Amino acid sequence: MSTVLEVSNLRKSFGGIAAVDGVSFEVVEGEILGIIGPNGSGKSTLFNCVLGQLRPNDGDVRIDGRRTTGMRPCDLNRLGVSRTFQLLQVFPQLTVRDNLILAGQEHQGSMLSRLIGPADAGLGEAADRMIAFFRLSHRADELAGALSYGQQKLLDVAMAFMAGPRLVLLDEPAGGVNLTLLSHLRERLQAYHVERKATFVVIEHQMEFVMALCTRVLVLAEGRIIAEGAPQEIRRDPKVIEAYLGH
Amino acid sequence: MNRVGAAAAVSIAIFAVAAPFFLKPFGIFMISMWAVLAIAAMGLNLTLGYAGQVSLAQGAFVGIGAYAVALLTQAGYPFVLAFAAAGGLCFAVGWILGYPALRVQHHYLAFVTLAFTTLVFLVLRNEEWLTNGIYGINGIARPAFFGWSTRPAPNFYFFSLGTLAVLSIATWWMLRSPWGRAFVALRENPIRALSLGLDTRRYTLMAFAIGSGLGGLAGGLYAPLVQFIEPSSFALGMSFNLLLMVIVGGSGYFFGPFVGALIAVLLPEWMRIAQGYYLIVYAALVIVMMAFCPSGILGLIDRVSKVVLRSRPTAAALGPRGSAQGSVHEHGP
Repeated sequence: MSTVLEVSNLRKSFGGIAAVDGVSFEVVEGEILGIIGPNGSGKSTLFNCVLGQLRPNDGDVRIDGRRTTGMRPCDLNRLGVSRTFQLLQVFPQLTVRDNLILAGQEHQGSMLSRLIGPADAGLGEAADRMIAFFRLSHRADELAGALSYGQQKLLDVAMAFMAGPRLVLLDEPAGGVNLTLLSHLRERLQAYHVERKATFVVIEHQMEFVMALCTRVLVLAEGRIIAEGAPQEIRRDPKVIEAYLGH
Repeated sequence: MNRVGAAAAVSIAIFAVAAPFFLKPFGIFMISMWAVLAIAAMGLNLTLGYAGQVSLAQGAFVGIGAYAVALLTQAGYPFVLAFAAAGGLCFAVGWILGYPALRVQHHYLAFVTLAFTTLVFLVLRNEEWLTNGIYGINGIARPAFFGWSTRPAPNFYFFSLGTLAVLSIATWWMLRSPWGRAFVALRENPIRALSLGLDTRRYTLMAFAIGSGLGGLAGGLYAPLVQFIEPSSFALGMSFNLLLMVIVGGSGYFFGPFVGALIAVLLPEWMRIAQGYYLIVYAALVIVMMAFCPSGILGLIDRVSKVVLRSRPTAAALGPRGSAQGSVHEHGP
């Protein structure tokens, strides 16, 4: 299987503090890689460097072999890389359907064709399918801001999938989600993974979620990778236990 | 647009067409001014209300457009060409002015655009070789099209109204397109928008440029309407007045600028009955309205209609704030 994401010796410092300190890893096609680590271990900074939100001080990011270090997030998205954020990031003044159309519209035609073409950019049916996939059909025409937190979380994840990405980076998708919705979210992510053969990288604190979803896990502590392997091995690794429990 | 909005639009259209037949020349001049300033306010509503970019430069763009038309028509160029040049020039200048918006936001951006307005005023006042300085430009001719002269007041009003209608339809089309959705996304969460593939840089510049272009076209009508222009007409006062129109009418509501321009143009005239106190009364009314209804007149109507209808909070029921497929994406603050 080909390598989709390749991160080499990535470094990012804020002042004198190295948030990401020489991190290297690869993600192969169809893999679901989990990244775990205690608070402040550099997970989100790593994501932001990979996704162009932050410019790394050093190191290289390659997607499908192409160097993408420092590339703008919108350009990365058009290369088939999508993401969610740690905090909810839906557009509350747009309907659920419009949120999803927005998430896919920049992949349709040119700037001019998006001005003179149909209002839904030809994505109305695709948006409805995605809404049905995440079981939000009964709320499709409501404003996103009127949805419950859990439903907004589902919408947030659905938006990341709307453009049919090749690589999806999910930053704490289970954060603040109740157990029922968590199992629904995991099941939908697995279904999407099977259906579309997409590659996922997931940052998550909820260990059960990571163990059930991911095929491989990386552990970060103080900006460095301290362990890597199958979920069950990671769970028993003394270095991981020490990093989490601090003894 | 919901049914109430459509009914309101048709009623306003009928009223607008019939109005000059019942008004004296000064009244026709005032409603012509409303049509002209509504175009400028519509442009500002696009930049501020939809795309969320604070601008205090719209009056300067009206000035640039007015001077462009005055100078070009007096140099012998046809009005249509001068009018297009006014819009095109302001589009280009607006695009350049949009660059600071890529770095600063909110009140910092307001100060950048405020400085621009002052700069334009100084150029209009000091560059006498081009603008005739404080003496201004007079005798600006009203255009004629295929033998139909707009010199009579009612004719110029209908010409202004027709231009307003065409530009409104074009703006409506743009706002219901993916561009409108992108502008709303830009206002609500630019970082998320960027991660979804939206080139926020390009959309920000476009929002500034199109809004400024509409300001320039409004200026292109303003010059032949008043037939005499001078720099102080386009100083900060006009930019603040246009901002007032957008805010009072309802920022981010498509028809907000139409209502706001109506109030800002006509109310001071109606209140002249209060003689020297009219500005005090007018200012007090604006303060009270902003305190109790910061979302403007249309925001107030929106809120009241929701209470009256007691409907469930669907997008359709939320009226112009919602954006069902194919609708214009509007919001309230």
